[in-house]
Amino acid sequence: MSAQGSDCIKMNSEAPAVELRGIWKRFPGVIANSDINLSVTKGTVHAIIGENGAGKSTLMKILYGMQEPDEGTILINGTELDFESPADAIEAGIGMVHQHFMLADNFTVLENIILGSEPHNGPLINFTAARTKINDIAALNGLSINADALVATLGVGDRQRIEILKVLYRGAKILILDEPTAVLVPHEVNELFDTLRELKKAGNTIIFISHKLDEVLAIADEITVIRRGTTVGAVNPRETRVSSEDLAVMMVGSELPTPETPGNTIRDEVVLDVEHLSVISPSGKAIVDDISFSIRSGEIVGIAGVEGNGQAEILDALMGIVESTGTVKFKLEDISDLSTRKRRELGIGFIPEDRQRQALLLNAPLWENRMLGQQTVAPNSKGLLLTPKSAKADTERIVKQFDVRTPGINVLASALSGGNQQKLIVGREMSGEPKLLIAAHPTRGIDVGAQAAIWDHLRHAREAGLAVLLISADLDELIGMSDTIKVLLRGRFVADANPSTVTPEQLGTAMTGAGKVSA
Amino acid sequence: MNITKQQKLISILGVGIAILSITRTITSNGDLTSAVTISQALGFAVPIGLAGLAGIWSERAGVVNIGLEGMMILGTFGAGWAGYQWGAWAGLVAGVVFGGLGGLLLAVASVSFGVDQIIAGTAINLLATGLTKFLAILLFTDAPGGGQAQSPPITGEIPTITINAIADPLIALHDKGLFFISDTAGLLSGLFFQLSLLTVITALLFIGTAWLLWRTRFGLRLRSAGENPWAADSLGVKVTTYKYMAVTISGLLAGLGGAYLSIASTIYRNGQTAGRGFIGLATMIFGNWRPGGTGAGAIMFGYIDTLRLIDSDNKNVRGLILIGALVVLLIAVFLLRSARRSTGIGFALLGAVLVGAFLVASNFPPEVAQVAPYITTLLVLATASQNLRPPAADGAPFRKGESH
Repeated sequence: MSAQGSDCIKMNSEAPAVELRGIWKRFPGVIANSDINLSVTKGTVHAIIGENGAGKSTLMKILYGMQEPDEGTILINGTELDFESPADAIEAGIGMVHQHFMLADNFTVLENIILGSEPHNGPLINFTAARTKINDIAALNGLSINADALVATLGVGDRQRIEILKVLYRGAKILILDEPTAVLVPHEVNELFDTLRELKKAGNTIIFISHKLDEVLAIADEITVIRRGTTVGAVNPRETRVSSEDLAVMMVGSELPTPETPGNTIRDEVVLDVEHLSVISPSGKAIVDDISFSIRSGEIVGIAGVEGNGQAEILDALMGIVESTGTVKFKLEDISDLSTRKRRELGIGFIPEDRQRQALLLNAPLWENRMLGQQTVAPNSKGLLLTPKSAKADTERIVKQFDVRTPGINVLASALSGGNQQKLIVGREMSGEPKLLIAAHPTRGIDVGAQAAIWDHLRHAREAGLAVLLISADLDELIGMSDTIKVLLRGRFVADANPSTVTPEQLGTAMTGAGKVSA
Repeated sequence: MNITKQQKLISILGVGIAILSITRTITSNGDLTSAVTISQALGFAVPIGLAGLAGIWSERAGVVNIGLEGMMILGTFGAGWAGYQWGAWAGLVAGVVFGGLGGLLLAVASVSFGVDQIIAGTAINLLATGLTKFLAILLFTDAPGGGQAQSPPITGEIPTITINAIADPLIALHDKGLFFISDTAGLLSGLFFQLSLLTVITALLFIGTAWLLWRTRFGLRLRSAGENPWAADSLGVKVTTYKYMAVTISGLLAGLGGAYLSIASTIYRNGQTAGRGFIGLATMIFGNWRPGGTGAGAIMFGYIDTLRLIDSDNKNVRGLILIGALVVLLIAVFLLRSARRSTGIGFALLGAVLVGAFLVASNFPPEVAQVAPYITTLLVLATASQNLRPPAADGAPFRKGESH
């Protein structure tokens, strides 16, 4: 497990398919890559792992010629090359399978594949030659595809195969796959891995970018770990046994954090008291069915349940976003008839399930997003007027305190990765010392390091007396963080669980209604 | 049962002629399928068709071109200005160039500077209207035969083609009034009777466009800019260049359409386009962003226009109502059979209303025909919107290197 430097070219064997030496890339305000060193052996699957925002994508853009490095050298098959555009990379036999598919829906598979390098007679496209070539490549690499199908009619797995065919068609022998499994369901992941093995057999080299450690261990011959923009180690899982814990430690630079809330901080004051809460759907069905619970100061109450059993509706009802019946009392005051804004002003923070739909204005800068939902209180406004200056200053604080990786507070929210968006939201909702935090999946989609930081913030706030309603699909998180767990099934609480004794397996069973857990 | 494209086309043609024939027989109105009508209809179809074709070029490359009307206006002005001084052909060239400049302006604004395409297009429409009015006052007021709002007459003309050897026997056959046969003869005779050279050129432009955009490398790349420019960019296609070319060609074609209007009426007048650029856009949507359908739409609109304009004793509009009724009822039958019941019933009701109107009233205001093209477009959108396939990235701003 040693970092590979520029000095360890293996002289006895073939030159590596790809070698990067001392790559640096700076953006205004951010160093995306610093001193990246990397060596990929020919004919292997080489995984590059790192947290969100660690610099994997920038590195791959450099390798594919979409961005030029500020410093450093790229060697392909032992030859030093300069890439000014993807065309140069393609020329050198490098192909990129993008995370978000780059396909024209209204084109056929064939048209998508040949676009930009069409076989032709004069100005005319030679469709016959194109079809033959595509079918040959598909057969050679064990990919099955109907070249004349309209892409709009195809599913995700097929689309990914088209993307792979696209790069093979252009003569790529080195394939970069950027988080290829992010969009796939489990059996499609297996199909993809079969495809990758076929591709390897056919002599191709594959660079596989991911942050899913178990997948990496399943498919990779070599692994390079990136942390905070730099390569921190290389592992050969075929020679050394490594576990996903080992990799995680390399990725975050410390032990894998565990969700824990030490001690009992629960006080007597009841912050939230819900009685007979029901939400009726437009079709007349009770989505939330007469539930009652209370949360005291310094207490975290977790709700476990398979998604779609009424969690979202409970949150929306508590925030006054949907119509509901029953009473909701906040610190003994009945808030059932208050608007969402009034509830927020009382000191209720809200981290919704779908951050892009309910928590962010994607096309607004970060500091405007900082104001969102708290636009009537300091530091965002005074009287009738907004106070952008203090809001901006406070946004800087959130960015720093919650480690939001961004070039600045004036960039649009859409420019941030999902994890960093979430950190901003959590930071915002925990600003202004809320008395109650209603949080759905607060750490979903963010990497382990940031996860630990958010748990830390929750712990501190809990010690200071924050009451939290926590909904999470991550059962470890739910068990680790909660003081009390309630199991939700079809809009009703069907069981209580004691977080100090219950196992994730027991909880999972209870969520499906199959078994009872003891309190 | 699988129907090939050709079979489908032939059956649609056959049904269309049958409907015309039935209407002609019932209303005993020979004008509906006469050589003069068809020849005129083709003439009216040319500017609309060129506008539609211009729309195809621009929108296939992903730039919504609401500025077609403005580019046509520039074309009419260019043709008037050059036409009265140096003749019709010079006018044609000037019209095309002026329209092309309009297209280039839209490209600069929307492609290079990322101005919203609708706003840029609207701006071009306003600019073209204002600029030509101003220039007309400046350039035409003191010109012999000109005025503040119109140019002096355009000298010379674009030749028309009449092949008597074919047209005459067909016209004779049409006059016999036989069911279907005479109508087919009448429709065909229109193709050989006073056919403008520009109509022929327009037809060739349609065929050329279909060939270029769907058979060549150039076309595939151009269309990729309208379907997924980010994908095209990632494959090394010079998206911006293609968009520039497409929008400029769009302007050239719209300018040609405008020039045709001026030359055909031997004069430039303010407001001569009368919204044909927008009707062109409608035909493009009607034609599913494809040349064949757009051409058919233009001919249909041209035909309706002609019937309205050559209507001597108010018979044509009545005939038009019956044609509309029959078409609507036919579509209703298809919809009901393909289990789209609610839309089908709606069409059946509309058809019944039209038949009722035809039976009850004998006199229709000519405005009915004027709105017919727009109603037709609405009906097409109502029935075919699920099957319409506009370019997926039509109207989307694109910046090189940015991902989607």
